[in-house]
Amino acid sequence: MDVLVKTEGTDILSRIAQMFENVIHQGHGSLALVFLIGIIFGGIIQYTRVDKFEKIAGFAMLKDTIVPKMLFLAVGLTSIGLYYMIEAGGAHYHIKPILWQGLLIGGTLFGISMAILGKCPGTGPISIAEGRIDVLIGAIGGLFGGLVFTLYYDDFFKPLMGESAGKLTLPSLFPGHEHMVVLIFGVVVTLIAIVIPKKELFDEADLSQLPDDERPDRN
Amino acid sequence: MNRLPWWMGGILMSGLLLLTFSVFGADRPIGASTYVPYFAGIIFDLDPEKYSYLKDISNPGSWEGVMLFGALVGGFVTSVFITRSFRFSLIPSGWKKYKNNSVLSRLFWSFISGFIMIIGARMAGGCTSGHFMSGMSQMAISSMIFGGVVLVVVIVTGRLFYNVKEK
Repeated sequence: MDVLVKTEGTDILSRIAQMFENVIHQGHGSLALVFLIGIIFGGIIQYTRVDKFEKIAGFAMLKDTIVPKMLFLAVGLTSIGLYYMIEAGGAHYHIKPILWQGLLIGGTLFGISMAILGKCPGTGPISIAEGRIDVLIGAIGGLFGGLVFTLYYDDFFKPLMGESAGKLTLPSLFPGHEHMVVLIFGVVVTLIAIVIPKKELFDEADLSQLPDDERPDRN
Repeated sequence: MNRLPWWMGGILMSGLLLLTFSVFGADRPIGASTYVPYFAGIIFDLDPEKYSYLKDISNPGSWEGVMLFGALVGGFVTSVFITRSFRFSLIPSGWKKYKNNSVLSRLFWSFISGFIMIIGARMAGGCTSGHFMSGMSQMAISSMIFGGVVLVVVIVTGRLFYNVKEK
């Protein structure tokens, strides 16, 4: 689908304007809605504090389990709701293809960097928005990563990612039992979120601002 | 340190995912890594006509770009007025405790891991948002493979990279 973009020019400001114009015409929600989705996304991540280094790197060290608990709960609840929404025609599937090499190599690189940076591409910008300069440096590294990926996509990365083995979903593997599979998946994933033992690694810089009797690490 | 409990965060995030997927919302998943090469294309002044990847991501890249602007505003406002956690810092407390006290070391590793992270996410076709949250919510097999690999590698890396033993 080509989107009609009228703004001319190739300087940075024109291209940012073209970005907004593209979103207005691509039919995935109004510009205001997409912006609002971003605000809520940033607000939830900030308010739950999962953008902190101590949460993701803390999970890598198995000293904090807030991120997996929140992620699994969100997935468990959404999977059931979304399946019935799709069946009722209120949403569509957007399944990513199974590129074995891409998923294995990409997932490995992603896991290594997530443990070291202590952020992911969604939580990183929220950290920058609350003043974390080290994450800004990480984002600049990310821009160079994006540059290299774009420059060598056709010659190097695309062949390395391999051929698609299809866009499968779990329910499609059990024809005739789709509803049961969805319910079991949703309930099991939600239960995983609940039974993962709650552990927290706190940041002394945040705790020191609190009076003694309000510190979550002391009661 | 005002904050929401994890279960409230999970419920709210689920509501946001359903709104975004819904035809009354954006009729697409939430993603948060395609915007990086999209912005790289703009900042390094690459011609989208010349690079096939920039052509492929022009729609999702711009969508996520606008969402990112919203996320920066949402994150900034929440950190200033609600959690009051806004402050400039160069090195996280957890890094000092479990890695080292060197700002230079933190900035070096930040740059390197940011670089690798985007290459990894784009090779896999998604990140924590696009694969783990949006993809697993659709019960996509590709996202479950990604989620499994990432969970294992994150824990192994954490064990090897940090001095995990309590000091």
